[in-house]
Order: sequence, then C-alpha cells, then structure tokens
Amino acid sequence: MVTAFHRRSLPKTQGGFAISELIVSTSIFCSISLGLLMGFTALERNYAATSDFSLNHADEMRISDYMALDLRRAVSVQAAQNDTTIYIPAYYDQTGNPQTPTLDGQGGVFYGASGSSVRIHYYLMAGTIYRQQDNAPALPLAVNVQDFTFDVTDAGKVVTTRITFNPTFNSGGASAAATTATAFYNTTLLRNSRTDIQSSVY
Amino acid sequence: MRREHSTKAGSVLVWTVLVIGILSLIAMETVRLVTAKYQNALQTSTWQEALLAAESGIDLAIVELRKSLYPQPNHAWDGWSNPPGNQVTGYELTTVPNAGLSGTPMTIEANVDAPSQLIDPTNSWQYYRIRTVGTIPITGPARTSDNPQDTKLRRLSLRWERFTNGILTAHSLDAPQVSRRIEAIVRPISAFDQAIMSVGVVDLTNQNIVVDSYDSTDPTKSTNGLYDPAKRQENGDIATDGQLIEAGNAQIYGDVATNAGTVSGAANITGIERTDFYQEPIPIGAPSWADSSPGSINGPTTLNAVATKGSVASRYTFSSISLSGNKTLTLAGNPNGSQTYIEIYVIGDMSVTGTGQIVVQPGVTATIYFAGNVDISGNGVLNSNNQPGDLMLYGIQPPTNSSEHVSIGGNSQISASIYAPGHDVTVNGGGTNGHVYGSIVGKTVTMTGVSNLHYDEKLGSTGAINNYKIVSWFEDNR
Repeated sequence: MVTAFHRRSLPKTQGGFAISELIVSTSIFCSISLGLLMGFTALERNYAATSDFSLNHADEMRISDYMALDLRRAVSVQAAQNDTTIYIPAYYDQTGNPQTPTLDGQGGVFYGASGSSVRIHYYLMAGTIYRQQDNAPALPLAVNVQDFTFDVTDAGKVVTTRITFNPTFNSGGASAAATTATAFYNTTLLRNSRTDIQSSVY
Repeated sequence: MRREHSTKAGSVLVWTVLVIGILSLIAMETVRLVTAKYQNALQTSTWQEALLAAESGIDLAIVELRKSLYPQPNHAWDGWSNPPGNQVTGYELTTVPNAGLSGTPMTIEANVDAPSQLIDPTNSWQYYRIRTVGTIPITGPARTSDNPQDTKLRRLSLRWERFTNGILTAHSLDAPQVSRRIEAIVRPISAFDQAIMSVGVVDLTNQNIVVDSYDSTDPTKSTNGLYDPAKRQENGDIATDGQLIEAGNAQIYGDVATNAGTVSGAANITGIERTDFYQEPIPIGAPSWADSSPGSINGPTTLNAVATKGSVASRYTFSSISLSGNKTLTLAGNPNGSQTYIEIYVIGDMSVTGTGQIVVQPGVTATIYFAGNVDISGNGVLNSNNQPGDLMLYGIQPPTNSSEHVSIGGNSQISASIYAPGHDVTVNGGGTNGHVYGSIVGKTVTMTGVSNLHYDEKLGSTGAINNYKIVSWFEDNR
C-alpha cells in the first residue's frame, strides 16, 4: 500500500509542477513572442525607414547632379523654391549636333542665333520633380517625392542648391531638425558670364 | 531515454535552421541594400571625377596656348599631333596614373582648333575652341543603377563608349568606364588689360595722382576719341603679382588687386580690393628680324613708315637712340595721314632729354622694342594721333639679376603703352599738366609728383597677347 500510495502521489506532485511550468513557460513564451514581435516590427519599420532614406538620398544626389550640370553651363538663372529655370547656350543645332559659335563683338561668343538660349525648367508637381527642356516632354527625375523641397540660392557667380526631405524614422512625423539633417547641398560655380546680371567668373 | 534525446535534438536543429535562415535573409537584404548604395556612390564619384579630368584637359590646352606666347623655343604643342591652326585639329592624349578612385588612371583627350569664324575682325585675334573628354574606369562591376533616372543622367560606358577621339561615335569597350566631354572657347587677353600691372611693388606716392579710364572707341566714354574728365570711367584697375600696393591715397577710379597682399593708402579707391591676383607676364624676346649691324641715332632722323595694314611693318634696328638739343626722331607716315606701321628695335639704351623729341606723325602706328634703359624727359615723345595704341613700347626681358629701368617724365603729356615686365618703370610728374594716356606694365611701377594716368579701355583688345581667357563653357552630355 505504501508502495501504491507513493506511486499514486507522485503523479500529483509531478502534475503540480507541470501547471507551474506551463504558466511560467507560457509567460516566458508570451514575453519572448511579444518581444520578438515588437523587435521584428521595429526592425521592419526601421528597415522601411532606412530604405526610404537611402532611396531619397539617391534622389537628392541625382536632382543635385542634374541641376549642377545645367548650372555649370548656365548663362541665366531664375531661382525659386521648387521651381527654378536655367538658361543654357543653344549649343546643339536642330539636328542635335554641336555648332560653331559666333563672336558677339563684345569679347564673348554665342551659339545659334544671337540672344538664343535653351530653357531648362525644374519643378515639383504632384509628388514628382521634373526637368523640362524648352517644350519637350518633361523628364521625371524623382517620383514619390512629395515631401521634397529644393531651394536654389543665386549668389551671382555661384549658385547653391539645397534639397531636403522628411525622414520616416519617427512615426509621429519628422521634426524640423530631422528634416534639416537630410539637407543635400551643392554649390556650383557658373563657368559662363551671365546675361541676366553683371557677373564674370574668369 | 535515447528516443527523448533524439526528439529534443531534432527540435533544436529545426529552430537553429529557422533562426539561421531568418538571419541569413536579413543579412542578404542588408548586403543587397549596402551593395546597391555602394555601387551608386562609386558610380557617382567616378562620374564627378570624369568631369575633373575633362576640365583638366582645358587647363592643359590653355597651358600650351600660353606657352606659344613665349619667345622661341617655347616648346608649345610638343607631343601634340598638330599645332592648332585654321580648321587644323591638334590632339593630345594624356594618362595620369593613379589619379582616380582606388588608384585608377585618369585619361584626358584634348582637341584644340582655330575656326576661321572665331577670328576677331577688329584686331585679327584668333579665339580657340578646346574640346576635351575625361575618362575614368569604373572599378565596380559593369552594372547599371537600380534607378533608370540615374542611368539617363550618368551616362556610364559599360559596353560601349559614345565618344571616339572627341567625336560622338561609339566604339566597344573591354572594361566599363565613364566619359564626360566639355567644349570651351578661349579668347586672347591683351598685355594692357589693366591701367597698371606690376610684377612687384606698385608705389603711388602722391594723393594728387589720378588713375582712371576712358574708351577712345565709345563716344559716351570719350570725346572725339580723347579722354574727357566729364566722361571718366572707373576701370583704371591696378594689379600686382606682389604683395604690396602703396596707393598713397591717390584717386584711383577702379579696382586694386594684390597677390595675397595689402593695399596701403587706400582711402580714395572707388572699386574693390582683391587679394587673389596673379598673372605671369609673358616675357618679350628680341625680334627675329633684327639687323645684325645696326647703327645708332644721335641726330635729327626721319624713319619712314610705309607698310599698310595686313603687310609686314617697316622695320629698323638701332644700337641706341640718344636725342637732345633740338634733335628730333621723326616717324613719318603718309602725307594723307592714312594708317601705316613701323617697328623699331633698340638693342641698347634710349634717351630723350631737353629739347630732343620723338615725333610720331599722324597715321603712324609705332612699336618700339628696347633691350636697355629708357629715359624720356624734356619734350619727350609727341604722339600726334593721341592714341596710346599707336605708340607701344615693349621692353625685352633683361638677363637674370640685371637691373634695367624705364623713366618717363617731361613737360607735358604722353600717349603710349609700356610693357616692360623686366624693367623698373617710373613715371615722373610733370606738374598739373602731367598726363599719361595708356597703360603701364613693369617689374615695379612708381609714380612720383603730380601725374595722372588715364587708361584707354580700347587697349584691352590691342597689342601683345598675354594670356587666354575662357569665354564659353559647355558640357556636351549627349
């Protein structure tokens, strides 16, 4: 009997431990699962924000490079936020080939007809930043960039572009400081003498 | 017991594989992101370096153009296939080792030509067209960017290069690279681009000195082609390659520029002060046409200028010129006053004192080269045309450690342009009537007493060429 009693009481003891274990293990499992879920969620959000930041940064570089390309050869600049117009020499003829310039009698030269130039228009519209050359179809430089802002500061001999966007690391929205920290600057020396203001580089 | 162990071991293995799989996926995505970012950054920086290479090509060409201004042998265009002439293309290919990212070589192709359309009809100066292509290899794989907009902007040459010998003609490639092409137009710059230019110190010792400008070709800036104080312009610029301009509180209607130096007595300067000036003056060599056994001028002499525009000037060589006591050297032209040209080379010193005089008759454009000292005082020089571009004095570069000078003074006025970067130039005041119309370039320049210098802006497009300046720049991004 003693032996039988002991044999019956043993499972009770074991069963009590199983409930405790179950509770503890469930708690641990829930904690770990919750932690993992939160961790993965945070990781996923961070990954999305990082990817977004990376793509936006590449967009900034591209827009900045495009504008610098045109500013270097510009003869005239009309700067405004998210809407800038740059005039460059009419270097190509109607077939798209380079043409020989003509002396202007004032120590300079011009391409094509006297006073002619090519208009390059940069603007942000409906979440896309475009570059339009004269009346040709506008070329989208960056899409889904409704949070972008590009400022162009005209200092005569040099023009500075500043491009910012709103990073998505904070679910409450980007602070002003965070947006400022995304600023991509480019200061370009205008190689040509300008026709709109008195300015000569060389 | 063995069966339980087996079950636990299998569970651990599954979890381990699962965790490793998840971590691997995260790592792969991270590597993919980082690689794409790295590739983009690499291609962007290579793209920028190619622009530096192309702009270096323009500098290379300008260096050769400047070399061609020096006396022979100047070794200009050595290593180029052809010196640039009308419609003749010079070509150079230069590889700069380890100049690019990760020690990659930078290759520069430069073409220079001189189209006939780019000859200035007013002074026959040739403008040059420089076309350069800068090329840098891409050190990463031949892979386009993830973003098609990047591909449109940065024209990477992965399999095909779009430029061949500077022309838009494609050829295949063994390795990826980036090329950028620039066209620049350069124009000549006159040796008389400023009112005063000095290699060393400029010293204006008197506050009554006036330096200003006029333009003899513009009736709004001159009267009958002559200086008119009522139409004074503010381009009487003064510059030095040295560190000091002693402005002496003189009235300077123009800018002053030093080579990281200072300007003292700058109270009456209307323009700006710059400290970033440096312009190496091109030395003048002895004329190749010099007579091997020249005589000298000590008495009344008349030299005839019979050459007209487009032909070789009438040329004379003398060992020295010394005029005093009513002795006059007359540079005679056509009686009708039409334009004629004369060139004189003085191997030794030139001296005009007392009542001696050099007279440049109407219509004569005289160029005088001198190797020794020049002293002009008394009646001095009478330039009948009153145009400083019609009497140009060029100092032959003296030997190193030799001290030569030009001293100009006299009773009244002189219209002349002096280019003597190896000579110390002094303008001695002739009282309130002392006026110099023209431009002065010297090793040092000193103005004493009351003297006035009026710079004729027309001189900026006449005389010897001293430099080349970019007047047009365009990147061809086809």
